Amino acid sequence: MSDALITLENVGVAFNAQLRMGSPKFWALEDVSFTLRRGQRLGVVGRNGAGKSTLLRTLAGIITPDRGRITRSRVSCQLLSLSLGFMQHLSGRDNAILSGLMLGLRRREIISRLPKILEFSELGDFFNQPISSYSTGMLMRLGFSVAMQVEPDVLLIDEVLAVGDSEFQEKSSAALRERIHGGTTVVFVSHGDAQVKQICDRVLWIEHGRSMMEGAADDVLRAYHATPSAVAAQ
Amino acid sequence: MMRLHYLELIFFATYAELRAERSRSYLGLIWWILEPAMNMAVFYLVFGVIMRIPQPDYVPFLLVGLTLWQWFKSCVSHSGHAIWNQLGLIRQVKISPQVFPAVQVLADTIKFIFILFLLMIILWCSGYKPNITYFALIPVLIIEFVFATGAGYIFAAVLPLAPDLRFIIEQVLTVLMWLSGVVVAFDNMPEAMRFWLALNPVAQLVMAGRGILIYGQWPDWIALGRVGLVSLALFALGSFMISRLTPRYVKLPA
Repeated sequence: MSDALITLENVGVAFNAQLRMGSPKFWALEDVSFTLRRGQRLGVVGRNGAGKSTLLRTLAGIITPDRGRITRSRVSCQLLSLSLGFMQHLSGRDNAILSGLMLGLRRREIISRLPKILEFSELGDFFNQPISSYSTGMLMRLGFSVAMQVEPDVLLIDEVLAVGDSEFQEKSSAALRERIHGGTTVVFVSHGDAQVKQICDRVLWIEHGRSMMEGAADDVLRAYHATPSAVAAQ
Repeated sequence: MMRLHYLELIFFATYAELRAERSRSYLGLIWWILEPAMNMAVFYLVFGVIMRIPQPDYVPFLLVGLTLWQWFKSCVSHSGHAIWNQLGLIRQVKISPQVFPAVQVLADTIKFIFILFLLMIILWCSGYKPNITYFALIPVLIIEFVFATGAGYIFAAVLPLAPDLRFIIEQVLTVLMWLSGVVVAFDNMPEAMRFWLALNPVAQLVMAGRGILIYGQWPDWIALGRVGLVSLALFALGSFMISRLTPRYVKLPA
């Protein structure tokens, strides 16, 4: 199909358990197959250690699978990560540029978006101060505002939907929701059913590194909850 | 397109690195000069004043040697740690890890340029005048830059997989310094050793630099060309190793 953006066929990813020679491998992803299509909002559910984060990093192109096949059309994928590459002694402004460049933006793109970042992060005069003087909340606001400037074809989200103090949480999750429902293809990993139902139209369920089921959100969530993890493991 | 983006990233990250370093201490920029100056003073005290090495032009000999050496050393040791230090970031975003050692080498090179100018002023004031052979400094410095980058890349490539190496890097560099005629001239070493010592690229570069800045001599172009080829090979090997090992960096345990 033409609208298939990324297709995974029996993908497996192995890690070394330790940084020692000959340390045993473990397969974080054993056998995952599914197709991500344009405009889909795919939720990924699964118990702790099922391989959800590894799957996101594989989709982002950071990890190359050790077996199986991954086919992607020419799309940009971005794992939503906050405060990427931030340096303590640099101003908020310089950190925004640095982080934007690391996220793949061109210099002029990020510079033209600085006013937006300043406005959204509500940092005011602090924007030109070193971030070592920021509170945790301010740091989160800056990190989120920068991350939102990247507009990938496929947005990959690992749990973070809302950051900062309660007021900014509302603002940030609203901004993200707007992005999600604005037609961007989204893959969203979460433990919270409510959020998955709210955001995603389809759900992929993985268990012990295997894709168990993919389909309409309600169906998959029902099956997921009906199966104790011990049964699913078999 | 892709390349340009990486260049922008490298240049801005270099600026960020220097800027952050400046704000990390009270004296800031002054340390760029003060730290190497203090280092040189220590060597001068030991070898010039206490041991009184019987050699004409010993002070300029030492200053030029140490300036070129310290640049090389800081490039290799900083860039050698660069990928290992940024593993957290490499796990989170698709980025070529080569960026990080490149930033370290550039930052050290910018600091070196300041020190080189200061060194030249000191030499001029001591009667070692600028001369036509100064033009040869350009290839000498470019080759040293490529050599340091290549050596740094190789360390940077291996360190994430064998972090224990970081205990060894500094020792290897110290041995290399003594084998490069930075502090003690080869003339003071046994004849049988000299041939082998002269094969060391760093020794060739230091010798060429001294010839130019102190004696107004053109470098030995054939020897320099050989060092240039070795440097290019090292650089190619280093970048090849990094790109081949990247899939393993992203999977290292956090």
